[in-house]
Amino acid sequence: MAESKDHFDTLRREMSASLHKGDVKAGQETARRALDQGISPTSFFLEVIQPLMTETGRRFERLEIFLPELMKAAKVVKGVQSEVLEPALREGSMESAPRATVVIGACRGDIHDIGKNMVALMLHVNGFEVVDLGVDVSTQAFIDAARKHNAKIIGMSSLLTTSMPYMADLIERLKGLGLRDQFRVIVGGAPVTPAYAERIGADAYGSDAVQAVKLCEQLASGAAVRN
Amino acid sequence: MRNAVRLLDVLDRMENGPIIEEEDFDMNLIPDTIADLQDKYDIHLPADGPIVPSDDALADRLFDAGLALAETVGVYCTDTGRRMTWSKNEILDAIGLAPSFLEVGTFPDAHRQIKRWPEDTRSITIKGGPVGTPLPEHLFLPIQQSYAQEPLVDLMIDGSLETVYGREGRSRSPWEVLLAWHEMEMVKAAVQRAGRPGLGIGCTENSVSEIGELTVTSPDRLGPHHWHHVAMISEFKTNYGLMTKIAHLIKSGSIIHSFYNTIYGGAVGGREGIAIAIVSGCILLQMAYMTTTHSVSPTHPFYGNTTSSEILRGMAPAQQALSRNTHLLTDVVITPAGGPGTKTLLYEVAAQSLLAVASGSAGLIGPRSAAGTEPGHVSGLEARFMAEVAHAALGFSRVEINRLVSELVSRYEADIPNHPVGKRFDEVYDPIRVQPNQEWLNVYEGVKDELRSLGLEMNSAEANASKGEYFTPSINGRRLENA
Repeated sequence: MAESKDHFDTLRREMSASLHKGDVKAGQETARRALDQGISPTSFFLEVIQPLMTETGRRFERLEIFLPELMKAAKVVKGVQSEVLEPALREGSMESAPRATVVIGACRGDIHDIGKNMVALMLHVNGFEVVDLGVDVSTQAFIDAARKHNAKIIGMSSLLTTSMPYMADLIERLKGLGLRDQFRVIVGGAPVTPAYAERIGADAYGSDAVQAVKLCEQLASGAAVRN
Repeated sequence: MRNAVRLLDVLDRMENGPIIEEEDFDMNLIPDTIADLQDKYDIHLPADGPIVPSDDALADRLFDAGLALAETVGVYCTDTGRRMTWSKNEILDAIGLAPSFLEVGTFPDAHRQIKRWPEDTRSITIKGGPVGTPLPEHLFLPIQQSYAQEPLVDLMIDGSLETVYGREGRSRSPWEVLLAWHEMEMVKAAVQRAGRPGLGIGCTENSVSEIGELTVTSPDRLGPHHWHHVAMISEFKTNYGLMTKIAHLIKSGSIIHSFYNTIYGGAVGGREGIAIAIVSGCILLQMAYMTTTHSVSPTHPFYGNTTSSEILRGMAPAQQALSRNTHLLTDVVITPAGGPGTKTLLYEVAAQSLLAVASGSAGLIGPRSAAGTEPGHVSGLEARFMAEVAHAALGFSRVEINRLVSELVSRYEADIPNHPVGKRFDEVYDPIRVQPNQEWLNVYEGVKDELRSLGLEMNSAEANASKGEYFTPSINGRRLENA
């Protein structure tokens, strides 16, 4: 009864309104009520949060909504996850495991952050743990953060041809330190091409935030990625 | 107004302004303020409305909204974590003291750029060049020459180097010093080879950090009479490196050309958001950078171009807002998705040139063909075309221009998602003779014929150019009525 299709439809409508308004409190109330009614946190995430965020991502991809709306939705999801779903999962002795941890940043010398921010946000709302190192990030800082946070994926962004070489540096440095097998590397940014990514030995090239999420899902699952 | 006293005032605000978290600035202050102002000033730019509106009241409301945004948010410095802010009166005083004309370059090739009005019949300044597009090193000189030798190009702007002496360039390193030197040496050679040694040069494109700019900005290198670039980080942000450039450019008495490239669909939102942000961005470039010329390049988040109809719908009223209400010298950067050899490129360039001319922009920059991301996919012929269209458009009303732009958009917009990057320079030009090949010329002539059939005089570029006359407007810096 609690997990009936009609009930999930009702919850999705409520949660959709909260995402649209950026109303964290209302989103949390919906989630709490659902859990009180016997819906498991995992079911709530899979049946309510995930489809809504997938649709939100698609609407952003079609530019029917913009970054502020995406941010509002992400804020609600974050609030629901951290305050309602994750505590419930812990209480139930279940692990609240994110898909994987991604360390992300703009390469050294590059101060452009909007594209990188969009990718970070989209990864977060799709269940990844994201460590955003910001802009002008040194190669070693990427590696240090990836080790510290036990990341599976390193994402590097560059809008500048003069910062792109640091992508190759990272991969060479990972090899030199014997760490190449520990981390999957995805690169992106306006001047970066699939051919460049292949030439430097990156694991994937993402042309935009939506594609980056799909690729990180593949990388996290251990699958080979073909651009 | 720009001088060392104002520079110190700006730097003081950078060190002492209100503290705010960067994320709060990006994701709350900017979008929330824009949403409020859009309602307050009744800014609506519907998808089925005119691309180039003729609504002066809308333009004036848009200016007021942009001014209010500038006053409310200011400029965020990522190094100090503070906002530089100014009151409305301080802003009006500063933009009232900004120059309304400018001489760039040196005798005998110096060019005077002037402030223009919507539907102004005086010529718009043509700043031709690849605008930072990465260029293969062996093609850098002929590509730059291909722009410098175009007689309708009033000023040249540089591309960036893909490599330096065959090595990968790196920002914030000795390589940036060498890149900047290499750029300077080759663009000087390009204007010399074109027989225009005094041509004003837009530089330094190989200065990602402040290092490149500091390297080559001096009287014996790229002197103060060239137009020196400083970026504003989107949205409304700066840092110590960029302010270091400003300090050096002001102390060296150099022309400052700064740019603000808002992202469509980003923190500022959609059509209305980018329109308000463009107005605000130009004002804030003046406030923080004391800039001489201001350029905007609102960018599509997925295609990297400026020519999608939703972006044009924000750009046209924003240019009108600025040209009706200030005498700031505002330029439009044209970044088509199409590349050399394609009709799409020429349609896009024509549409945006027409829009800018009718909306009162002071200058056109580019084209940054193939969205500026395909190495070497640029050529001087598209700058010639941009100039010819711009000069042919003088005297047209905004209603007539809207009809032309709408028709052109219908001819190219469906092709943009296909990334029609065209061909590299050496596939559309003879790089030794530095002349376009017949195939590219045929495409160019074909599109000119199409424009003639739409009603544009494309027969004599020189005759069209002579329609303009130079004039220095009388300005008081406040709300100005178009005489």
